[in-house]
Amino acid sequence: MFPVRPERPLGEYRSVYLANTLREDVRRRRTGSGGAVTSLLMYMLDSGVVDAVVASKRKGGLTGEIAIARSSGELLEVAGNRWGVVPFTSMMREALSREGIQRAALVGLPCQAQFIWQMKTFPLLEADFSSKIRFIVSLFCLGTFATEPFLNYLKIRYGIDPSEISGIRMNGKVLEVQHGTETLRLDIRDAVSFMQLGCLTCPDYTGVFADLSAGLSEEHPQRTVLITRSEEAERLLREAAEAGYLEFEKAPVTVIQEITIKAETKLMRANKYLSMLL
Amino acid sequence: MSDLLIYDVGGCEGCPLSILRVLPQLEERVHVSSKALGNLSLSRDYDYAVITGSACINEERVTSIIRRIREKAKVLIAYGSCASVGGITLFCRGGQRPRPEHRTFLPISSVVEVDYAIPGCPPNPTLLVNLLDSLEGEGGSRSKYFLSLFSRVAKEKKLSGFDLMDEIVLSGLCIGCGACVLSCPAHALHMVEGKPDLMPEKCIRCGTCCVRCPRFTQLLLRRPALSRGVV
Repeated sequence: MFPVRPERPLGEYRSVYLANTLREDVRRRRTGSGGAVTSLLMYMLDSGVVDAVVASKRKGGLTGEIAIARSSGELLEVAGNRWGVVPFTSMMREALSREGIQRAALVGLPCQAQFIWQMKTFPLLEADFSSKIRFIVSLFCLGTFATEPFLNYLKIRYGIDPSEISGIRMNGKVLEVQHGTETLRLDIRDAVSFMQLGCLTCPDYTGVFADLSAGLSEEHPQRTVLITRSEEAERLLREAAEAGYLEFEKAPVTVIQEITIKAETKLMRANKYLSMLL
Repeated sequence: MSDLLIYDVGGCEGCPLSILRVLPQLEERVHVSSKALGNLSLSRDYDYAVITGSACINEERVTSIIRRIREKAKVLIAYGSCASVGGITLFCRGGQRPRPEHRTFLPISSVVEVDYAIPGCPPNPTLLVNLLDSLEGEGGSRSKYFLSLFSRVAKEKKLSGFDLMDEIVLSGLCIGCGACVLSCPAHALHMVEGKPDLMPEKCIRCGTCCVRCPRFTQLLLRRPALSRGVV
């Protein structure tokens, strides 16, 4: 059975923390959350735990592309792309070999965390770069949009040029689309019909296959919620805090409840949509 | 210590050759019997048996060996794409030297019941080490999930890029994560406007893309329950 179940919607985990960066350069770059993931990854790069961080970055509008950071400075350039609109990992193998990377931390969505964990633990191919996968970070995800239909909708209904979109974020039940200097606020009910069907059948909100899951809490919007799932994640978090990159504390029960409710909602939604597909 | 049999029933030898690389790690965990080690025996019982290569049903000797291994093994693992889903050997039409009568190759599950089927052409052999660890009870719910997936694949007679296109891409379940493109050993899949597209003539029917796809794996595992009306 899938590791997300009604009695365990967050999967197996060790601890839930609230964290935030202590670095001024990350504070300046961050786009609303606590910057803890960026700070942890910076620590991992600076201390040589990994020699690269693989993530996605916004290319323009709602399209994304693979981004490889080899240093803290390069990582700052891709920081803040937490709403990984269209995951793009098909070029990962070529990118890792081209750059001569040996130990990478990979940042993705729950679906990506699943197959990257599979590549690491049950590599189906000789060409799998399992030995290079050192650490997996998954961002909380409620789903991604069917890009073309959603962009067409925004253009036809609101006259927004796709190339002007600089960001999208959830704010309660409102989806905020930043374009140019303005922000369009859409009711989530209007936007949900543009979500990908595959995302509507996905039961995983937090990314149970990752070493570390990260996301936001509405109760503490200026901090990052971190869920550790491995001893290594616990150790690296402690080390990064001792080195002055970030600070963290146990999350209050209310935060865990909030995430659990979202995870349960996504699980129920997945069951509903899956039941339509025999 | 458990006993493991490794047996190749014919094919390109890629799978048995790759397993040689992890023999030291395997022998730390189980007692291995194989042709490569010179201690092959089909007259004793095994805890695990790994069969590589597909079943040539034109060759009675092969099918009888597979049946014998099934009788002797508590857990039977079809290892590699040919053994698990037929792979490229499905394209065989016969007429080739040295055995022109060999023309029909099928997955092992077409001859006997298989417990776990692992696609891959060939799989990275560290998979076999981790699989045995998982079967011995190590790993948490994440490992168990993939054990149940490999068990489910053993019930499938075919998995290929064609199935991926039909079941996931054309049915709108694809999320465009790129796992299939990243996993195709034949470069038969490529992204077109954010979704994978198949170049049919390149697909070797290895099934790797299907077992990597987060949505296909979910569908495979849920389908038996869904078809019984259980949500």
